[in-house]
Amino acid sequence: MAAKKSTLKVILLGDGGVGKSSLMNRYVTNKFDAHLFHTIGVEFLNKELTVDGYKVTLQIWDTAGQERFRSLRTPFYRGSDCCLLTFSVDDSQSFLNLSNWKKEFIYYADIKEPEKFPFVVLGNKVDVAERQVSSEEAREWCQENGDYPYYETSAKDATNVAVAFEEAVHRVLAMDDKTDYLISTDTVRLHRKPRSATTCCS
Amino acid sequence: MATDSALKVIFEHEGVFIHPNTEEEGTEPDLLVSGSLRILEKDAEVLVDFRPLEDPVDPSNMLCAGQDSSSVVEWAQCPKEKHQSHQLLETQQSYETEWDMLNAVSFRKRSSARGEGLLNHSLERSRWAFSVSVSDLRSITVKDEGWTFVILQQKEPSTSLPALHFHQGGSREFLDNLRRFALLTESPEDETCLEVSTPNRALSQSFENLLDDNSFGLIHKFRRDPYVATFGGLSKVTNYIYDALRGAEEQQQQRPPEEVADLLGEVIPGLEINQQEEPGFEVITRIDLGMRPQVTRREPLSADRWSKHLDMEGRVQDVDQLKHEVFKGGLCHAVRKELWKFLLGYFPWSSTSEERRCLQRVKIDEYFRMKLQWKSVSEEQERRNSRLRDFRSLIEKDVDRTDRTNWFYEGLNNPGLTLLHDILMTYCMYDFDLGYVQGMSDLLSPILYVMENEVDAFWCFVSFMDQMHQNFEEQMQGMKTQLIQLSTLLRLLDLTFWNYLESQESGYLYFCFRWLLIRFKRELSFQDVLRLWEVMWTGLPCQNFHLLICCSILDSEKQKIMEENFGFNEILKHINELSMKLNIEEILQKAEGLFHQIRSCKDLPHSISSILGLDTGHQRSDPTNAGAVAASQRAHLQNICSNGLGRENGSQNSGRPAFKS
Ligand SMILES: Nc1nc2c(ncn2[C@@H]2O[C@H](COP(=O)(O)OP(=O)(O)OP(=O)(O)O)[C@@H](O)[C@H]2O)c(=O)[nH]1
Ligand SMILES: [Mg+2]
Repeated sequence: MAAKKSTLKVILLGDGGVGKSSLMNRYVTNKFDAHLFHTIGVEFLNKELTVDGYKVTLQIWDTAGQERFRSLRTPFYRGSDCCLLTFSVDDSQSFLNLSNWKKEFIYYADIKEPEKFPFVVLGNKVDVAERQVSSEEAREWCQENGDYPYYETSAKDATNVAVAFEEAVHRVLAMDDKTDYLISTDTVRLHRKPRSATTCCS
Repeated sequence: MATDSALKVIFEHEGVFIHPNTEEEGTEPDLLVSGSLRILEKDAEVLVDFRPLEDPVDPSNMLCAGQDSSSVVEWAQCPKEKHQSHQLLETQQSYETEWDMLNAVSFRKRSSARGEGLLNHSLERSRWAFSVSVSDLRSITVKDEGWTFVILQQKEPSTSLPALHFHQGGSREFLDNLRRFALLTESPEDETCLEVSTPNRALSQSFENLLDDNSFGLIHKFRRDPYVATFGGLSKVTNYIYDALRGAEEQQQQRPPEEVADLLGEVIPGLEINQQEEPGFEVITRIDLGMRPQVTRREPLSADRWSKHLDMEGRVQDVDQLKHEVFKGGLCHAVRKELWKFLLGYFPWSSTSEERRCLQRVKIDEYFRMKLQWKSVSEEQERRNSRLRDFRSLIEKDVDRTDRTNWFYEGLNNPGLTLLHDILMTYCMYDFDLGYVQGMSDLLSPILYVMENEVDAFWCFVSFMDQMHQNFEEQMQGMKTQLIQLSTLLRLLDLTFWNYLESQESGYLYFCFRWLLIRFKRELSFQDVLRLWEVMWTGLPCQNFHLLICCSILDSEKQKIMEENFGFNEILKHINELSMKLNIEEILQKAEGLFHQIRSCKDLPHSISSILGLDTGHQRSDPTNAGAVAASQRAHLQNICSNGLGRENGSQNSGRPAFKS
């Protein structure tokens, strides 16, 4: 059983332009592309990592933030194991919208016990000098909303990116006894075919 | 019309009973009338038809009612079910006496229970026959008494038809088939009652649901009671999630459970649901395409060739020939700046150079008048105008992320960026209802790159947006329509692949979303996008050629997808990752080849010919409805030119070209 691979689905949500795609690319390819296009539709990347001796495939989903495309992204919320709520520290509006993103996620992912669901909050673009959202404000919001872990990241200079994604994995695994979890995920996972992990990542 | 008499059997099930004693007084107790229940399509009307068995009406006559000799009714023995005969019924009839395709439905013909009390007298029996149009149904009540019985309630008069007792099963198939033509929604008051809504509304509603949200709440209800749950709201994605919830092992090789509504089949009229799991009931559909002809592409149209197409006054000669040359080879870059204006419909083909100069002067005025509108909004004002503020913020963010490696837009203070921004802002003033939607910067960028001129780029963009508008509207109707059309095409061109996609819950082709939204802009290199778009803008060789381009790309990928047994996620990922790996000339070649194959197919289904505009008279139609527009454009042009510069004229007409007729 312990040799079995498991796929964890993590979804990045937040306003357009906060850096969701950049964070995903930084984590998966360790690159920052300043010429990246804005996202149209839905994309995902896989990243394999080993946690406590278990091989885990992290499937990171990235969608477009604009309201118009909501009905096209929300179906993909289903089956997420963790949600990374993302804002940009130089854009206060994106911070104010966090609650909406959280609500949208809980609704469409059909989360039964929202209090228990692992959210992680990312304040991106900390390399930018002109901040509109302070660490204190952000931490306070996380505290009040369910004691979510908060990371200040920069996709540009890689600050805290890997740490944040790894925290997401830990959160998911901490939800249950790990072994139990890894076995049970095979029945819950969207991608349960053992071969999927290998074909996706090649 | 020859189609008037075409009658199509959508569904047929024998062993459906009426219990007359419960309906009417004075009949023998325990009387059972056994009959066959059908769903028929005739003259675009869908009927539910019940005939008692051994009725004088011969069921096989039904199939060719009004049609001379072209119906084919075959009887075949199914090896799997030795004791029962199987009937193969032609269900799809085409124009005239030709068959669109072999679309055979085989189903089990059960020996009906001829117990005592069965009516013998034919007149007595035929009394129980009825036929009712689906659009006249108000609701359907589904009840269970050890077997299922169904009560159809009509709208006018508001009476119930005799209850139909499905003693030999088949009620679910019956309802599933009805769902293809009507939306059945569970009544809020009574969960056994399904409300029937009209086909048109059902069509749009259910497709709404394909992409919509609220469907998700249904999954739980569905799991509790898949029988009564409202299928209309379940999307393909839900299916797939539903499978996921059911557990891994049993799912691995199996087709998803049949109980889950096949929404795509529901929303695409005429598309048969492939019910492979239902024993004795299967749909075989195929279209016989001949060999794909080898197509050669030509050299791009040169500046020299182009100048030969212009007469002394600058009128374009032989437009059809010119369009053909553009279709076959595209344009040399030097010609694009001028010819794109014609291809997009900004310049009328019949105009002289002088008339075009006049037009441009008017358009310059119009443009700057609109540009001034947003330019003159103070910060103060904008604070109170959230829509404008949102548009601006979206545009600013997207301009920063559009083709930034192209020299025209690269670097920090490139003037190209300002132009892109200003044109998009001005477009918001031109069409404030639509405003700015993500994807539009992708459509503008190549046009601006070619025009190198703010005003010309704006008006060409306006023309392009006229074609693409629906993709971006609130309900994204354009996207839905195109996905349906593409699915229809693919299913008939390549049933095997379509079935595969379907089995992976990908039959609604979600993964083509980006292709269609911005016409392959993200899939091809910048130069290839220019080539593809100019080819598409000729409107040749048929309407919706871009859908054949989708088919052409999918045709090249299907082998890998099927051989490697890609699932839902992998298909999405694979298609996403084709970006920048495609070869435009190969794609165009194959797409044109597909077109020739389709056109020379003599039994072309009507659904295909209407998507591609191959019906009589539609050939070579310009997507922008050239004929009528050209005439009024000419009138307008002459008007402008005879009014001097036409400035007053232009401003009085509040910014829109005055294409009055
Ligand atoms: N300075 C700085 N810029 C960043 C950082 N992350 C992203 N950006 C820039 O911010 C812009 C938006 O980043 P994206 O990754 O495209 O944002 P997104 O959230 O994916 O946006 P949508 O796809 O529109 O939903 C881009 O121009 C990035 O280069 C960061 O950590 N620091
Ligand atoms: Mg993005």
